[in-house]
Amino acid sequence: MLDLVGRKLIYLLPVLLAVTALTFLIAALLPGDLALAMLGDQATPENVAALHQKLGLDLPLWQQYLHWLRHVLSGDLGTSHRTGETVVHAIAGRLPVSLELLVIAQLGGLLIGVPLAMLCAVRPDSAVDRVVSGVAFGMLSMPPFLLAIVLIFIFALRLGILPATAYVPLAQDVLGNLRSMALPGATLALLEWPTILRVLRSDLISTLQEDYIAMARAKGLTARRILFVHALKPSSLTLVTVVGLNIGRLIGGAVITESIFALPGIGRLLVESIYTRDFIVLQGCVLFVAVAFVVVNFLVDLLYAALDPRIRHGRA
Amino acid sequence: MPSDNRARAGLALAAFAALACAMPAGAQTRGGSATIGVEQDIAGFDPLIVGVYDTGQEAAAVLIFETLTRLDGSGKPAPGLAQSWEHSADFKTWTFKLRPDVKFQDGSPFNAEAVAFNFQRQLDPNNHCRCAIYVSNIAKVEAPDPLTAVFQLKNPSPNFAPILAPPTVNNVIHSPKAIREMKEGYNRHPVGTGPFRLKSWQSGDRIVLDRNPDYWDKERPYLDQIVVRPLPDNTARFASVLSGESDIIWHDRADDIVKAKKNPNVVVNEYAGSGAQVYAFNTKRPPFDDVRVRQALRYALDLKTYSDVAWEGLWKPAKDPWGPGSFVQCKDSGALPYDPAKAKALLKDYGKPVEFKMVVTATPRGRQIGQIFQEMWREIGVTMVIDQVDQTTLVTKAFRRDFDLTPWRIIDLADPDPQAYANFHTGSPVNLSDYSNPEVDKLLDDARTSGDQERRVEDYCKLAQILNREVPWFWPLDNHYFSIAKPGLKGVPKQYSDIIDLSGAWWDKK
Repeated sequence: MLDLVGRKLIYLLPVLLAVTALTFLIAALLPGDLALAMLGDQATPENVAALHQKLGLDLPLWQQYLHWLRHVLSGDLGTSHRTGETVVHAIAGRLPVSLELLVIAQLGGLLIGVPLAMLCAVRPDSAVDRVVSGVAFGMLSMPPFLLAIVLIFIFALRLGILPATAYVPLAQDVLGNLRSMALPGATLALLEWPTILRVLRSDLISTLQEDYIAMARAKGLTARRILFVHALKPSSLTLVTVVGLNIGRLIGGAVITESIFALPGIGRLLVESIYTRDFIVLQGCVLFVAVAFVVVNFLVDLLYAALDPRIRHGRA
Repeated sequence: MPSDNRARAGLALAAFAALACAMPAGAQTRGGSATIGVEQDIAGFDPLIVGVYDTGQEAAAVLIFETLTRLDGSGKPAPGLAQSWEHSADFKTWTFKLRPDVKFQDGSPFNAEAVAFNFQRQLDPNNHCRCAIYVSNIAKVEAPDPLTAVFQLKNPSPNFAPILAPPTVNNVIHSPKAIREMKEGYNRHPVGTGPFRLKSWQSGDRIVLDRNPDYWDKERPYLDQIVVRPLPDNTARFASVLSGESDIIWHDRADDIVKAKKNPNVVVNEYAGSGAQVYAFNTKRPPFDDVRVRQALRYALDLKTYSDVAWEGLWKPAKDPWGPGSFVQCKDSGALPYDPAKAKALLKDYGKPVEFKMVVTATPRGRQIGQIFQEMWREIGVTMVIDQVDQTTLVTKAFRRDFDLTPWRIIDLADPDPQAYANFHTGSPVNLSDYSNPEVDKLLDDARTSGDQERRVEDYCKLAQILNREVPWFWPLDNHYFSIAKPGLKGVPKQYSDIIDLSGAWWDKK
């Protein structure tokens, strides 16, 4: 087990280096100059040069990158040129929002997706299966902004029972917080469940055709017991992969959902940092998301081993 | 002369008093909280770091800070942190008598020293402040005694008192003590003398302001708390006021405003300001180095249709860059009419095919504007390609002159001088079209240095005629500012400079 952890950690390093270096490069290729944006009307060549020097933008790109890297290794992600806020503080302030949204989205998606997948897999191609799969397919093709606006229209404007933009911090008021997270959470959950359904349904169907299931049936076990105890666990490998990837993705914030519902999460921070050429913040966010992504998927790998003994013992 | 001006300041005082009396004392109810939805996230308040305030920052700044003067209901300067003022005969020395016994929210005293500190900090060339260009007329600010601030100007400025009124990055007075002590941290911990003080700031989500218990005017503020929330998504911001999560929002979507006007649960506040929505041609490169092409493009624009189609007719076609809210009202600005035949004739005369790129913001609105212009210009055989960019890129391109045609904005200010001089004078970094005309420069200089208001109006009208004829820039629509609010929210003044000012707001609980 320790060996597995060690091997994964060795992969982690090049991945992080590649991701941050690439972001640096892409950021440098973007049109628009932070110094010009900050100076505006005062952008005489001398002022721009002076500010470039102050911000370290006059150095060659690789030197800027190494400079940044050196600071990161000593635990300093830098300070936003635009706001004067430290990057660590900016991310820490917004992380709880994105994490909460992630948990709601994933739990919601699983609560809808898993039971429906089981329902469909028991009788493939039945009327229920066709309707559910059809709806799932329709939801898959629904863009998040459209779903968000439809939900706002129905629940915030027509019925007036849930707020659209009134984000309340969890620490301030738990009930108010849950109310304010209801619509954004529902938006994401409604977009997550179809993937969960499709993956789990097809895996369940093939598991249910395995010999040992036939054996279980022959032993006279109830269909419910077979489904929950014997079929679900071996069928959830792909599901775990998908959930892991989704979690990794959502840690970076659900950019569109956060913007529409005015949630102060990581996704919005990331987008703002791009719009305002606040690259030190962008760089910090990307690093954070990359680390989170790698760590989550590492945990998923460990979970594989728990789900499937063959993986655990496969390597000598 | 000075006595006359003392009389003027006295008059302003009287007007202020009259205004205060017009509302029966005690009509305003105390208490409650209001939430204001603004368009963009707020980066901070330190002029040296943020350079310029957008409307969201100004909506917060007007609560936390104060300015030396303020504008009354008729747009005239009224006392703010200054109780009275007078100027020299040549309008180059302005002396402000400050309000005594005013304290910053950190307990330090407000005085002439603080006024001088704030302006000198912006002017200091070592600070490279983006804000400096709009105070470039100030030579220095002195503090001969604690309650007297003297502004020495480079050029006469008859309108200097109202120029200091809007809560812009230049005008609001920060606590020198707080700036010195907090240094870079000050940006997110603003300290002013205003009726509300910072309670908490959740980055990207909200700024919570509490009533300042030590505010010098014991009558105000009426509200206990104001929450400023950046709501960048237009749909969500509009929904937030309809559902009651926001009490007032800044908004500029024509279709939503039309809807809101029909909705009995909200009211629409509007103000026709000075300035205009403007576009600059790059006159240093073809095809716009030729005046015939520029004129042809302007003749081809049917602004009435443009206003109706894209702006629901709420923003009106502009005749000049001064606007309906300005004291400059011209009998004839010489605006070119819609005349496609003339446009085609000019292009025929020019003789070469006209193709160019137009910069627009990468927003649905920007794309729509681009498409309408594209269509109108196609009618006269001109090919325009839309170049969608984000705001930062737009500014970068504009200052690098890396464009054929770019949008810009002349905002609502008390006097046309700072922006007109910056946009049209030879050699200015914001003279985006790089258009240079000695006659224009002469008129700008005269308008800047003349103390005679009528003569200045004449100058600006002549200037408009030249610019309308030569078309280095054009101005499709006037500036019109809107906010959408709950009907019970009272005491919100006109939206000068597009700033929603809740500093004296109160709830009508009936």
